[in-house]
Amino acid sequence: MTRMRASYLTRRRLLATVVALLAALLVSIAATSLVGPVHASLRRALGPGGPSTPDYVIIVRTRLPRVLLGAVVGGSLSAAGAALQALLQNPLAEPHLLGVSSGAAVAGMVALIAGADPVSPLVPAAAFAGALGTMALVYLAARAHGRTTPHAILLVGVVCNAIAAAAIMLVNAIASYAQARGVLFWIMGALSTQSYALVALVAVYALAGLGWLVAHAQSLNLFAAGDEGAQQLGVDVEGARRSVFVAASLLVAAAVSVSGMIGFVGLIVPHLLRLVLGPDQRLLLPASFLGGAVFLVWADAAARTALGPAELPVGVVTALVGGPFFVFLLRRRLARTLP
Amino acid sequence: MRAACATLLVLATVGCAPVPSGAGGGPPARVVSLAPSLTEIVWALGAGERLVGVCAQCDYPPAVAALPRVGGYLAPSVEAVIGVRPDLVVVVPSPGNREAVRALERVGVRVLVVHDRTLDDLRASVRALAGALGLTAAGERLVADVDHGLAAVHARVAGLPARRVLLVVGHSPLVVAGAGTLQDELLTIAGGTNVAADAGQAWPQVAPELVVARAPEVIVDAAMGTEAGGHDLFAGLTTVPAVRDGRVVALRGDALFRAGPRVVEAAEALVRAIHPEAGG
Repeated sequence: MTRMRASYLTRRRLLATVVALLAALLVSIAATSLVGPVHASLRRALGPGGPSTPDYVIIVRTRLPRVLLGAVVGGSLSAAGAALQALLQNPLAEPHLLGVSSGAAVAGMVALIAGADPVSPLVPAAAFAGALGTMALVYLAARAHGRTTPHAILLVGVVCNAIAAAAIMLVNAIASYAQARGVLFWIMGALSTQSYALVALVAVYALAGLGWLVAHAQSLNLFAAGDEGAQQLGVDVEGARRSVFVAASLLVAAAVSVSGMIGFVGLIVPHLLRLVLGPDQRLLLPASFLGGAVFLVWADAAARTALGPAELPVGVVTALVGGPFFVFLLRRRLARTLP
Repeated sequence: MRAACATLLVLATVGCAPVPSGAGGGPPARVVSLAPSLTEIVWALGAGERLVGVCAQCDYPPAVAALPRVGGYLAPSVEAVIGVRPDLVVVVPSPGNREAVRALERVGVRVLVVHDRTLDDLRASVRALAGALGLTAAGERLVADVDHGLAAVHARVAGLPARRVLLVVGHSPLVVAGAGTLQDELLTIAGGTNVAADAGQAWPQVAPELVVARAPEVIVDAAMGTEAGGHDLFAGLTTVPAVRDGRVVALRGDALFRAGPRVVEAAEALVRAIHPEAGG
């Protein structure tokens, strides 16, 4: 079955889809860089004496890095979501489910309380370490006799998530008001940076993670046949599972450490694209990355402008806009497939 | 369910420690304050020795450190409050303590609820607390002291042009003081104009680009509990006058965030940040 579906994917279709989505992403980045709570003129920014104009500072120093960060974070969460849904054979799997994000949040908050400044690179570094630590913990705890099962990973992950969420609430209860404010960032998520270096660093992890996932795309396809089926089809089930888990966690860790927990992107975008493009991971993974990037870039543009000049948390937009749209698409598909 | 539990706990506690009724003549002698601002007011009214319990965040004046803590500002412990047998509990309303207030009233403890968001709230809460403590004259004196203090601060900047000010209270996300806040009022008294006054919220979260567009002459960084590193947040915004002229000023301490007697201190600190040329 999986084989048959996979055979529909020609090199040409893969290339056409990826190029189209890439073009959509580039257009989205350019367009949303011109959208914000205040008006900034691109002509003035790039004109004579440009760098000394407020327009240049707004577009080049504050808006564009943020848009690019949104693209990388959206892509990472969405690709990780697609991979986790296939890996765990569970449509509800999403990047924040397995405790990796909460682990990042706990470590980030501990760094804040230990006295790190909220805008120093120490906080995302600690969060990244926290995410990887939680990931290792989940994997090792879910393993027995050198083997894991999707169920074990899911259960241990969900429990680790609950423990970390409780730790966040505990910190919230005992921290001072000022420190507790930091909780907001982790729970609601936010995109804000003026550092191209940070965006580049996260992009390196994102692209490495994505490449790693795509390299295992065929194995992920075969997981649909169940562990034994996949094994009979020649997949090193345990090795592939470990690789995909590590790669997806890398994507989530890099994204969460700089943006907190932005929900729904990793759940909605892969499902949406699966409805449109079919389940072949060789196409779905890169498409999810690009689609997630486009989605979050626009969601953040809406978050910046909807209440202007005040901002909305971007997670509010992703859930409020993405949720109903997803249900609409799902219902259309159900109407067509169910008798 | 929570209410039921609280009631059970309350009944259990009442059984072994009868709560004295505040109604029985004479001003209250055992007072619990559940907000840092109210603790400061009670102390400034000269009734500090009547405090028998304060909230976990109550830290001024330093002498309150010795008093029993009866739970958090946002989530007081009904048991702990009743345990110190108060005849008056003073509190600022919040969703987190509404049930606790109800539970206390149900067992007959006198609870005085006052607001602490603006200078008018401060005047009203000083008078209400003073009235409840039988210190009406001291209350009027304290209100007059605060008003005179603020007027004196304002007089120092009277001849100076108002500077455009952004008051930052959180870095990540970037949160600033909007209109209708105590901080907005103090900033105006200190010779500033709040560039975020039109944001439509008391504590709007804003994008850094708004800082560029509003071009404040002074950025007062009161993001609490943080060190000078916050300046990185604004360093790249080179067209902003405050950044260009080195007027990004870190303001420490919590006087600015409490509608208490120290608002005069807070206004003075704001003058030093906004109009350093005014001296003092």
